Amino acid sequence: MSESSKRLLSALMVLGAQSPERAIAIDELAARLGLGAQEIESDLKQLVDAGYARMVREPGSSRVYLTGTGIITASSTYS
Amino acid sequence: MLSWEYPPRIIGGLARHVEGLSKALASMGHEVHVVTLDFPSAPYEVEEGSLYIHRVAVDVPAPTFHSWVLLFNHFFEKRLGQLARKFGVPDVVHVHDWLTVSGGVAAKHLLRAPLVMTFHSTEASRSSNSPSPESAMVRGLEWWGSFESARIIAVSGWMRSEVVSMFKVPDEKVKQIPNAVDPQKFEAPVDTQAVRSKWKVKEGERLITAVGRLTSQKGFDDLIRAYPLIRRAIPASKLLIVGDGYMRGELEALAEREGVRESVTFAGFVSETDLVGALRSSDVVAVPSRFEPFGIIALEAMSAGAPLVVSRVGGLAEIVEDHVDGIEVEPNSPVSLADATIRVLSDRALSARLAEKGMEKAKAYGWNSAAKKTLETYREAVAESRYE
Repeated sequence: MSESSKRLLSALMVLGAQSPERAIAIDELAARLGLGAQEIESDLKQLVDAGYARMVREPGSSRVYLTGTGIITASSTYS
Repeated sequence: MLSWEYPPRIIGGLARHVEGLSKALASMGHEVHVVTLDFPSAPYEVEEGSLYIHRVAVDVPAPTFHSWVLLFNHFFEKRLGQLARKFGVPDVVHVHDWLTVSGGVAAKHLLRAPLVMTFHSTEASRSSNSPSPESAMVRGLEWWGSFESARIIAVSGWMRSEVVSMFKVPDEKVKQIPNAVDPQKFEAPVDTQAVRSKWKVKEGERLITAVGRLTSQKGFDDLIRAYPLIRRAIPASKLLIVGDGYMRGELEALAEREGVRESVTFAGFVSETDLVGALRSSDVVAVPSRFEPFGIIALEAMSAGAPLVVSRVGGLAEIVEDHVDGIEVEPNSPVSLADATIRVLSDRALSARLAEKGMEKAKAYGWNSAAKKTLETYREAVAESRYE
């Protein structure tokens, strides 16, 4: 996993995006990392493809949250 | 008990340790409350006899992992306050590793309850003495926990020596209480043919299994480098890697480069039933860690009757008696790992002897024994606690 994907994974966990109800808007996630939404698109796709994150599609915007596997993987970076 | 992980939130051995210990203490009639982090689909409150699990949501965003840890400890403190009002002040507050030290120290002073800390590992070893500010903070929390605790538990002799020397704590303050296993879990009937078929192990093929987080510490890259050497001697074999982690992509790519990708299965995280099934169906279980304060997977493999090949590091070297109930190999050495694995796979008598002796040894590591030693440690902590 690239360093930028790891950073994204960790950000989702510490921002509390751990369920569909607590999913975070992609714009907001990018802003928290000091990036634009397009800059995190590719890493986000990788996390979704790997089963670490899921998207909540909404008209006009999308939100994202970590799956159980994503939470464990994000945590395992530090333990 | 404060722990950042509790099943189904299983990051490492710590979750299974807290589960095994808390269940054993509760089965002895003690009231045990575990305060832990929430997890998708896990209920927030669980009551099983005198064991209570309280899962806590962290409702405030944090900028970094390390600030998030301090933040979730505040949420733990709030829950502890609520529990103290409802159930009374606990006799002991028990924290596990640096992650819950700040909550535990706050509880000690606010509730006037003695603190006990278990070291499952240390930052210095995990991070190879990283000079980063985050690592310094973690080491500071470890020192603080060791200072504030009336008693410290270390999960192996190696861990105990490290804690005594690193944090300059009196020798008698640190108790060595090893991790344990629930043998019943591994004695359950398993349809090994169905399990092997699930992991695409063909008739006559040998199954090599490794379990753990896919991080550098676990040495799975060494195992993948060893695997082509193993296949040269034993072509009919499969390698099953159970677990997930940030190195998954790198390890998959490495298997590709080594020309063995088709024979390596990355199972990801699996259920307890699948884990038991995999261990029970394996011809050898490899634990190629570079650093391992205890290595609970070694005990689990022994309990499941799987012959073991382990790195000669930390707690693993204490659990396994070389060539008696497992084979020890040099860490960071794919050649040494391949050599030992080939020996176990080619010599059925050796393999059967290691498995039999391993099962015998695992029986000595029960949770009831660990719980009794922990209770004794709690009593000492109660007798000697001070609140400056």
